Amino acid sequence: SAAARRPWRLFGAMCLLRLPRITQPLEKEEEEVAALMQQVEGELEKSHYSDHEIRKLEEEEQLKRRRESLYDEDEARGKTVIMAQDLEEKWEQKFLQFKAAPRITDADKSNDRTSLNRKLDSNLMLLVKQKIGNQELWLLPQVEWQPGETLRSTAERAMATFLGDHIQAKVLGNAPYGIYKYKFPRAIRTENNVGAKVFFFKAFLQSSDLSQAELKADYLWVTKKELGDYLKSEYLKKVNRFLLD
Amino acid sequence: DALLGCHRSYRSRPTHGIGKFKYLLPKEVPKKRKEKVQMKEISAGTEYQYGDVNIQMTSYDLCLVERFAQYVHRLCNRLSIQVNESYAMPTKTSEVLFLEERGSKMQLDAVLTSHQRIVQIRGLSSTFAPILLEVIQSNQPEGLHLLVKQHTEADFKSRLKSRPELEELLAQMS
Repeated sequence: SAAARRPWRLFGAMCLLRLPRITQPLEKEEEEVAALMQQVEGELEKSHYSDHEIRKLEEEEQLKRRRESLYDEDEARGKTVIMAQDLEEKWEQKFLQFKAAPRITDADKSNDRTSLNRKLDSNLMLLVKQKIGNQELWLLPQVEWQPGETLRSTAERAMATFLGDHIQAKVLGNAPYGIYKYKFPRAIRTENNVGAKVFFFKAFLQSSDLSQAELKADYLWVTKKELGDYLKSEYLKKVNRFLLD
Repeated sequence: DALLGCHRSYRSRPTHGIGKFKYLLPKEVPKKRKEKVQMKEISAGTEYQYGDVNIQMTSYDLCLVERFAQYVHRLCNRLSIQVNESYAMPTKTSEVLFLEERGSKMQLDAVLTSHQRIVQIRGLSSTFAPILLEVIQSNQPEGLHLLVKQHTEADFKSRLKSRPELEELLAQMS
């Protein structure tokens, strides 16, 4: 009924994450532990040899025997021509030819925050400049809730308005991740419009191909640490609560 | 002579059968039975719970897969999610043949084994599921393929081996 209309306006915002493509480099302690574990497993616990290693050992023994005593060639005939050592050398050469892609891309060096290729080892989030009231603010893309639709579809609509329809993003669940509510300044406040509540949802980018034109020109992909440069402190506090690093 | 001792208790003595204990243990009847598969409950509303969910991890590196499966299992233990089973699927070996043509055709073979581990979970609430998924997703190592899906009868059947002789006999009988 009209009398029970709530004074809060509802918004749904979408936090679009691009998952990291490479693992983060290990910390010093992690590297030490990894080296120690390898040593433990290799020497102390006597882990079993793989087929290739057994073959290598056998052939080394054969070579030794041949050199010490002039061994009869009958045994050698039954064996294969290619030795395990040769295989290993072949593999080493192939490995040296292989060139891995650089971890620090061009976008990193130029600190171009609008590209997705930057910071391949951490999560990147989409920030959009929106006009609220009479201020232009950097926010997660948000759109007002229409009665009759779920909050999740509001958030998806927010994503679609800023990035176009064909985004391959996956929302994991129907539950919001966080909420930020604020009251309007007294000048705009009316009885029915005390303030606004923004519900945050999370989505993961499936493909890194954003060839669709962005509708609003001001967008950024930032990591969690760089959020502080753009968001206001209260908003930032609530957003940081649901972000994993 | 009596010191050499045989442990024969006389049947008339009150100490007869003094060392018996098997009658105290609970009775175990070993049965060969097929396990019940369909244990799904979905209740709509705020308490939306998934039934059996399978988290499948595949990779070419055995140690990696095993360690990650251990990690997922321990994580679910700590988050007090009930883990039904955690088992492994049989490994698949695939041969990779390179056909290089530079004058003389060379064939380099490589034999790859792919391993799969499955952790089965029950009682995942829908408010918690996305958080768990995100944690696992962000912690997955390189070279590991993750798949989270609901448990079906087909999944259960894929673990069992088919018996062709039994099926033949059944077909003959009916």
